[in-house]
Amino acid sequence: MNNHFLLASLVFVGVYGALIWDKFNRAVIALLGASVLVLLGVLNQEQAIHGVDFNTIGLLIGMMVIVAVCQRTGMFQYLAIKSAKVAKGDPWRLMVMLAVVTAFVSAFLDNVTTVLLMAPLTILFAEEMKIDFYPFLFVEIFASNIGGTATLIGDPPNIMIGSAAGLSFMDFVRNLTPPIIVIMAATLVPFYFIYGRKLKVADDVKQRIMAFNELDAIKDWALVRKCLAVLALVIGGFLFQRQLHLEPATIASLGAGVLLFLTGDDVHEISTKVEWTTIFFFTGLFIVVKGIEEVGLISMLAKGLMDITAGNKTVMVLSILWVSAIASAFIDNIPFVATMLPLIKEVGVQMGGSDAVLPLWWALSLGACLGGNGTMIGASANVIVAGISDRAGRPFNFIEYMKMAFPLMLISIIISTIYLYLVYL
Amino acid sequence: MNAAHIMTTGVITLQKEKTVKDAMKILIEKRIRQMPVVDNDNRIIGVLKARKLIQSVLPRYVADGLLKDVKFAPDLPKLHEKARELAGKNISDVMDKDFVKISPDAAVFEIAAIFVNAEKSVENIYVVDDKDRILGIISPWDMFKKIWDLNEK
Repeated sequence: MNNHFLLASLVFVGVYGALIWDKFNRAVIALLGASVLVLLGVLNQEQAIHGVDFNTIGLLIGMMVIVAVCQRTGMFQYLAIKSAKVAKGDPWRLMVMLAVVTAFVSAFLDNVTTVLLMAPLTILFAEEMKIDFYPFLFVEIFASNIGGTATLIGDPPNIMIGSAAGLSFMDFVRNLTPPIIVIMAATLVPFYFIYGRKLKVADDVKQRIMAFNELDAIKDWALVRKCLAVLALVIGGFLFQRQLHLEPATIASLGAGVLLFLTGDDVHEISTKVEWTTIFFFTGLFIVVKGIEEVGLISMLAKGLMDITAGNKTVMVLSILWVSAIASAFIDNIPFVATMLPLIKEVGVQMGGSDAVLPLWWALSLGACLGGNGTMIGASANVIVAGISDRAGRPFNFIEYMKMAFPLMLISIIISTIYLYLVYL
Repeated sequence: MNAAHIMTTGVITLQKEKTVKDAMKILIEKRIRQMPVVDNDNRIIGVLKARKLIQSVLPRYVADGLLKDVKFAPDLPKLHEKARELAGKNISDVMDKDFVKISPDAAVFEIAAIFVNAEKSVENIYVVDDKDRILGIISPWDMFKKIWDLNEK
């Protein structure tokens, strides 16, 4: 048994180290780690499969399919162009509108898909107006990570947390959406003083934005209707999840199935749009964490956390928030959250009741999702936007980004601290 | 029947040090559609293609396919400015290094298959000797006309 403890811990540290080293594909690392655990006999196959949270996997795949189909309609471009025209071509108002749309879309779509839709269009708007697109892309990185925190389906950590803690879509809306709205608004204030108030363009330049025709972005109206109907079905299902006694994975899979049925799309082609490397990564990671859970390392860590904080809930909530935030700024938040899930569950057991750890879940979500804003490598959306900007002729510099992003990220964590303290502690 | 029989000879080539401006002048004067680029030893190293030139005046996010359809956007004045920047550039910076070359002994069957099955759409095939010097050029029409002729006979 002692042998197993050592082996599981070594595999876990090895997987973490390899992920930070970032030399090999993360899915390969996680799957290799998982296989090694089974090969060494630390876990049998039954236990390994049991470690995988199929609710998370199902929800991810279901939403990826729905998004892949809906993306083809052009309706997200429609939304972005419409919002730019609402801003009447005024650069600061355009920045605010694009940030709001990014945050809103990101609350329902994954962050990377959101920025892949928003960033090229944003650069086009800026080029039409002959202004620097850098601040716009910067604010969109923040908006995508902040918006993603607002709902159960906005960001993978929330999906994992919701599933592990048995929290519903409405639980997330009630507990995270309000602080997220405040954080988004507060983030825009420094942007106004640093960029917004200096951004002035002539009236004829504003007209260039008004010359966009959002209706031309829609490629297939019949497909738009089908997508909107399915999205309404899925969101409706999430809202009444408790009453329906359905897990989010079931609702998302149903939505994906109905959408594929309605559109008669080539299922093979749509399935190539699902990010299988992400799915494999999650699967492997769940098993690696299951390894250290089975051998008792997680309960040891949980006990350690209880001892250090002397069981003081305030200290525990705030340390989870801040440690998650700082860690997520530099490393991938998925493995971090995957490890924290069983740990917080265990703390719940030791504190006598899952209700006692509710604020810990919110602290983990806020910290892990918002922390990603801190550096250029903190979240996938950041890396994607930086790449697009780079190729468009305006490189993102690591230090330059961090100088502004890290303090801004800290502001969002300070607001989270105040929120958690006032509401839950 | 092989490549040497169907190729068009006397291909106009361009030295790699020339600028886009020089190349455009020749293209317009000679009314040709694409031009192979050669190094100092007359070896083919690339081809100047219209598609590639258009790509280089487009913003990268459009050229890369992140924004495929821009029907909703007004015209982008930047395109003309980009073309101006392009004029002074070296041919070797804007040429397409992706082209198909073939030996003069290649069979018609082989060439026909390349036109249809190549990864990217192949506009012309360049016939070269063993030192990569251009002997001739084969267009899809040259190809099909040859097959048609054989049928007529």
